[in-house]
Amino acid sequence: MKNQKGFVFCLTLLLVLSLLAACSQPAATAPASTDPAAPASSPQIAYPEKPKDLTILFGAGSASDVVARRLTDLVTKDIGQTIVANNRVGGGGAVGYQHVLSTDPDGYNIVWNSTSISTTYHQGNMPADQGIEAFAGIANITLESAALAVGPDAPYQTIAEFVAYCQEHPGEVTVANSGIGSFNHLVAAALENAAGISVKHIPMDAKQSTTALLGGQVDAICNMTFDIVQQEQAGQIKTLAVVSEERHALLPEVPTLKESGYDVTIMMYRGIAAPKGTPAEVISKLETAFLAAANSEDFQSFAAQYGVEVKPMGAAEFDLYMAEQDQEVADLMETLGIKTQ
Amino acid sequence: MLEQLGQALTIAITAENFFFMAIGTVLGIVFAAIPGLTFSTALILFLPMTFGITPIAAISVMLGIFCGGMTGGSISAVLLGIPGTPSAAATVIDGFVLAKNGQGGKALGTAVYASVFGGIVSVLIMICVAPLIAKVALTFGPAELFMLVLFGLSTVVGLSEGNMLKALIACLMGLLFTTVGMDPVVGLQRFTFHFAPLMSGIGIMPVMIGAFAFPEIINTFLEYKKDKGYKEKNIESSVKAAFPDNKEKKRLLPLNIEASLMGTVIGAIPGGGGPVAAFLGYSLAKSKNPRCGSGELEGVAWPETANNAVTGGAMITLLTLGIPADSAAAIILGVFLIHGVVPGPMLFQDNGPMIYALFISMLIINVMVLVFQFFGMKLFVKVLNLPKINLLAVILSVTVVGAYATHVSFTDITIMFLIGLLAWFMKRHQFPVIPLILGLVLGGEIERNLRIALLLSGGSLNFFLHSVVSVLFLALSLLMLLSPILKPQIARLFGGKK
Repeated sequence: MKNQKGFVFCLTLLLVLSLLAACSQPAATAPASTDPAAPASSPQIAYPEKPKDLTILFGAGSASDVVARRLTDLVTKDIGQTIVANNRVGGGGAVGYQHVLSTDPDGYNIVWNSTSISTTYHQGNMPADQGIEAFAGIANITLESAALAVGPDAPYQTIAEFVAYCQEHPGEVTVANSGIGSFNHLVAAALENAAGISVKHIPMDAKQSTTALLGGQVDAICNMTFDIVQQEQAGQIKTLAVVSEERHALLPEVPTLKESGYDVTIMMYRGIAAPKGTPAEVISKLETAFLAAANSEDFQSFAAQYGVEVKPMGAAEFDLYMAEQDQEVADLMETLGIKTQ
Repeated sequence: MLEQLGQALTIAITAENFFFMAIGTVLGIVFAAIPGLTFSTALILFLPMTFGITPIAAISVMLGIFCGGMTGGSISAVLLGIPGTPSAAATVIDGFVLAKNGQGGKALGTAVYASVFGGIVSVLIMICVAPLIAKVALTFGPAELFMLVLFGLSTVVGLSEGNMLKALIACLMGLLFTTVGMDPVVGLQRFTFHFAPLMSGIGIMPVMIGAFAFPEIINTFLEYKKDKGYKEKNIESSVKAAFPDNKEKKRLLPLNIEASLMGTVIGAIPGGGGPVAAFLGYSLAKSKNPRCGSGELEGVAWPETANNAVTGGAMITLLTLGIPADSAAAIILGVFLIHGVVPGPMLFQDNGPMIYALFISMLIINVMVLVFQFFGMKLFVKVLNLPKINLLAVILSVTVVGAYATHVSFTDITIMFLIGLLAWFMKRHQFPVIPLILGLVLGGEIERNLRIALLLSGGSLNFFLHSVVSVLFLALSLLMLLSPILKPQIARLFGGKK
C-alpha cells in the first residue's frame, strides 16, 4: 500500500513537471514581442550554429505544406542551412504563430506565415499584443488566388449570371468556403459586398466542398484555385472567376473578378517570418537564403505544377506588404462584423 | 486495354520498382507498429525523398507505406494492447485478450491474413468498379455523412462489456473531449481558456496512447511492488506466430468479403476513413459471433479486413475524382502532383498505362506485406517472452515520445498522462475505455457534419429523411441501439411459440 502511494506520488510529480514545462512556454512570450528594438549587440553573430525550426501552420500533405517543404529542402541542400519543418496545426494558424512568438527571437524559430497572420488576430484568436507588429518579415515567397466555381449544369454559367441569380434569390444560394474568418470566406464575403448580393456560407474544407459540389449538395464553392483546377480541366465543374489582378496561368480562359467588374483582388500571400526582435544580421542572412531558393528554377517549376505564383519580396518590402494586407483584411472583417481586435 | 496492361506490366515489374515497394512496405509496418508514429508521419517524412525518383517508384514507396501501415498498427494492438494507429483501436479488444491467453501469435497471424485479404479485395474492387464506387461516394453529403458516423457511434452497444450505462458515460466523455478546440463553424475558441496549445483540440493519438497503455503499466507496476517476489507467468515457447488454419479461414471467409466491401466503400467516402471502417467491422463481427470481446479471431479479423480495404477505397476517390478521402490520400495526391500526374477524371485517358501499373503495384505490395509480416511476426512475438515489467518500462518511455511526435507539442504529453490516470480509474471501476476512444475519434466529424447539414437545411431537421442513404443509416443506427432491448424480447417471442 505504501509503495502504491509512492508510485502514484511519483506519477503525479511527473505530471506536474510536464504541466510546468508546457505552461512555461507562453510565459516567455511577453518580453519577446514587447521589445521590438532588441539590438544586435555583438557585431559578428555566429549564425546559424544549429538547425532551424520552421513552423508550418497546416496539416501534412496540403498544398502549402508541400510547397514549404520543397522550399526548405532547397534552402537546406543548396545553401547549407539545415531547416527542419514541423507542422503545428490548429486554431486557423494561431497555435503555430503563438509557438513561434514564445521562442527567443534568435532566428532559429521561423514560421511559414500567410494572410492567416491577420485573420486569426482580428478574429480574436491571438493575444492582443500578438498582431502583425509582433512579427518581422523575412521574405515573401508566393501568392495564391482563390476561385469561384459552380456545377456544370447550374442555371448560371458566367459570373454576371451568378450575381443576377443571387439578386433574385437573396440568401438562398449556398457557397461552400473554409468557414467564418477563413481566407476563402473573406473572398466570398468581399464578392457579396462588391456585387451587393447575399449568399449562405457553408463551412467545408476543400475536399469536402468539392465532393459536395459534384454531389449537388451546395450551389457554389469558393476555394483556392489550386483545389479547383483539376475538376475544371476535366469539365466537371465550371469556374466562374478567379480572384487576382491577372488571369491564372493554368486557367487562361477564366476571367478575373476585377475584369468582370467586381473590384476584389485580395490574394493569399505566403512567406517566412520571425518574431520581432530578431537581429537584423540574422534576418538578412535568412532573407538571402530564402530569396535564392525562391528564385531558383527548381522551385519555380515546382510551384508552377501546383498552380502557385512565385512572387519573392525582400524583408523590407514584405513588412510593408504584410501591413497593407493586414489593413485590408481588418477593414473587410470590420464590415462583416467579425473583427474583435 | 490489353495493350495498356502489357505496357503497365513493363512499368510495374522492374527491379527498381520492387526495391521501392519493399522499402515503403517495411517503413509503413515499422512506423505504424510504434504507437504515436503513424503511417501519415512516415508518408510526410519520406515525401521529400521521392522528389528525385521516377513517378511510379515514388508512388510505389508511398503506397507501400500506406498499405503496410494499415497492417502494422495491429502488431502493437495485439502484442502490447496499444493500437499503433487510430485504425487499429478496435483490434485491441480481442487481439490483446488473445495475446494474454497465450495466443498472441495466432492473433497476429489472423490480423495479417485479414489485412492482406482486405487489401487485395479492395484493389480488385478498385480495378473493376472504381467509377461506380466513386458515384456512391458522391451521394454522401453532410447529412449522409452525419448518419454514417452516427451509425459508427451506435456500435458503442457492442463495446459495452456488459455495462451499457457505463459504456454510454465513457462514450459521452469522448464526445465531450472533442468539443475542446476551435468551433468548426464560426472559428472561435471553445474550452481552451486562451491556452494556445489547446486550440488544436485534444488529439486522438495522446488520448489513445494514454488510455490503452497506462492502465496496463500502472497495474503491472503496482502488482510488482505488492509482492516482492513478483513472478512472471512463464509462457515462453508457447507463443508461436501462426496464420489461421484452413478451417478457421473457411469460417472467416464470407465475412471477410463482406468487411472488404464495406471497408472499400467507407474508404472511398471523404470523411469516412480507417477508424470508422474498423469499428463498424468490429460490430459486424460482434453481431455474427457474440462471444467477441473475450478473445475471438473474428474480433481481430474483421476490423483488420475493413481498415485495410480502406486503402483501395481511398485510392478510388483519389484517382477518379482527384479528391483525397483522408490525410494519407492527401499526401499521396501531393506525390502525384510533384511528378506531374494530376489525379482526377482525366487520369485514365492521359495516363492509362501508369494507372494500371499502379494497380499492379498495389497488388504486389499486398503480397509483400504478407511476406514481410510472415518473417517479421516470428520476431515480433518474441516481445511476449520478455519480462513484462522490463517491457513496460520501455513502453513508458516510448509513449512519451509517441505522444509528442504527432503534433510536436508538450501539451500532448500532459494530456496523455492525465488521460492515462483517468483510464486507470475507469478500469478500476469497470468503465470500458474503448467507447471513450470511439466518441473521441468520431465526435469531430459528427458535430461538423450535423451543423453543416443544419446550415444547408436552414435549421430544419427534415434532412434526416431527405435521402435514401440517410434513412437507411438512421434505421440501422436505431436497430443497433435498440438491439439489447429487442433481442431478448424476440428470443422470448420465438421461445414462447416453440
